[in-house]
Amino acid sequence: MDSTLSLLMQGFAVAGTPENLMIALIGCFLGTVVGLLPGLGPINGVAILLPIAFAMKLPPESALILLCAVYAGCEYGGRISAILLNVPGDAGAVMTTLDGYPMARKGLAGPALSMSAMASFCGALVATLGIVLFAPLLAEWAIAFGPAEYFVLMVLALCCLGGLVGDSLPKAAIACLIGLLLSTVGIDSNSGVYRYTFDALHLQDGIPFIVIVIGLFAVSEVMLMLQHAHAGVAPMTITGRLMFNMKEFMLAKWTMLRCSLAGFFIGVLPGAGATIASAMCYASERRMAGKDHQFGEGDVRGVAAPEAANNASANGSLVPMLTLGVPGSGTTAVMMGALTLYNITPGPTLFQEQPAIVWGLIASLFIANVMLLALNIPLIRVFVKFLSIPNWLLVPGVAAISMVGVYAVHGNTFDLVLGTVIGGLGYLLRVMNFPIAPFILGFVLGDMMEQNLRRALSISNGEVGVLFNSPIAIALWVGAVAMLIGPRLMKMLAERKERVAA
Amino acid sequence: MSEKILGGVLLFISLAGIWLARSFEAPFSYEPVGPRAFPMLILALLGISAIALMLEKKSAVTWAAPATLQRIGALFLIVLAYAWLFDKLGFIVATTLMVVPVARFFGASWKQGALGGVGLGVGLFILFDRLLDVALPTGLWVANILG
Repeated sequence: MDSTLSLLMQGFAVAGTPENLMIALIGCFLGTVVGLLPGLGPINGVAILLPIAFAMKLPPESALILLCAVYAGCEYGGRISAILLNVPGDAGAVMTTLDGYPMARKGLAGPALSMSAMASFCGALVATLGIVLFAPLLAEWAIAFGPAEYFVLMVLALCCLGGLVGDSLPKAAIACLIGLLLSTVGIDSNSGVYRYTFDALHLQDGIPFIVIVIGLFAVSEVMLMLQHAHAGVAPMTITGRLMFNMKEFMLAKWTMLRCSLAGFFIGVLPGAGATIASAMCYASERRMAGKDHQFGEGDVRGVAAPEAANNASANGSLVPMLTLGVPGSGTTAVMMGALTLYNITPGPTLFQEQPAIVWGLIASLFIANVMLLALNIPLIRVFVKFLSIPNWLLVPGVAAISMVGVYAVHGNTFDLVLGTVIGGLGYLLRVMNFPIAPFILGFVLGDMMEQNLRRALSISNGEVGVLFNSPIAIALWVGAVAMLIGPRLMKMLAERKERVAA
Repeated sequence: MSEKILGGVLLFISLAGIWLARSFEAPFSYEPVGPRAFPMLILALLGISAIALMLEKKSAVTWAAPATLQRIGALFLIVLAYAWLFDKLGFIVATTLMVVPVARFFGASWKQGALGGVGLGVGLFILFDRLLDVALPTGLWVANILG
């Protein structure tokens, strides 16, 4: 415990330098703006800013602080448009519309916003404390993992995500397999064999991560925004008091705490992200509220619950990425890609080899959340102004900024064209209801999966049984199959029951 | 229907990919698993998933209305052209040319589009190239004029 505390202090020393504080502040501001814009969520924000941070030659810890602040900020921003526009700014804020918008219509926009900011802060704080407590333990435990266990762990992560997202198992599987397949393009590092390069010089080193990310999360997003372009609804204006009062706080305080804890643990599990956490917490709080609740009509607990949960789970999902090197969500997959750009391999050894980076990141989460709370309550009117950015300016702006990032890193237009083509494919897949998170996770994990598989089989001299030998590996396989089939089986059973009842 | 077609395409890709992967052979190797096993495994699973996709009963793909689809297609081509012309025309000119039609798609007037185009082109150039030290192309034509 002592050592954890001193390491955390070290982290604060890294995150507390004037430049890094400034970077965190900028990240928080940008993140909140990106989060509140409908259509752009944390994954787009992190995806678009990642190449720019890299191109600005920020040192790794500063780049990570920027991305983390943006990530944290997006989770705060999503609620603003949910409450004022009835349009969730990002997927995690869907549940916030249910009570947030009714509150705003009652003239309680101010309290709804400040309460949800408070809940976001509470969720993020609990989850960051959770990271401090659990991440080192998990990292220590995972250090015993051999290549076989690692391979199966990655299978588990992909199965979790594939089993939980999207409406059909083949679609989730295809998305993930396309990601894995694209990761094999380029020279095989073990044997020097060219794979699927089709004699193109630019493909020799593989498809750059940034190109995939920009294609999937900027270009295809822009195309989807044109499809979903809706007539602008004027945001509700904030009238009356800005702060929640003591009565509202007392009503929501246990809700916030419960949902923060639940959100954190849901976030740690691979696959289940902010969206699932906020939906589950909202539903259970509603059930627990007893008879005299106003859920659905503007209950203050109805905005506190999903916001606490989605912020907690967003922070919690950093745990598997940092400790195991296996991200459990699309956004953390992008963040892990950012780390690999800096030649930092996340995983259990990261805590020992790069303590400055890990603890600097954790400390920056604390700092970012304090900043976000401070930004989001008094300055809320500033952020609301951003809701009136017209789409005709926003969309081409996003397109241009994304291209700037890719060009700055690679300096050639081949990558820009490739990113656009991938974006077009991404659009087709997304319109056909393919989940996109397994795609990016597959791409990020592909190389590590192959390396670990080959290493495991080298150790066993080609004998496949090594993948099923250790108890950990067997438990992981069981988990993978259960996560792949379980959620859909339960849904099918529930549907059948309903049909029988009806 | 869309799912059936896509399933067919993916099945073809997986078969073609496996066929291509046959030639991935290491000249000499120290390890039991060579460079072609992993791609073949992935492609085989992709093929199976593609067949499962084709056999799935429910089909709930809703494509945008033809007029919107046309505009989305045009948007894609504009971004593609933007990507290709990015360093040839230079950031400012390419961005301005991209912004005007895209802004029009999202309901801007010609005047708004033109102002937005020049504004974004020049503004982002100053922000990134001058202030943030992210080098952007000025364009080959500028270099030609300057000799």
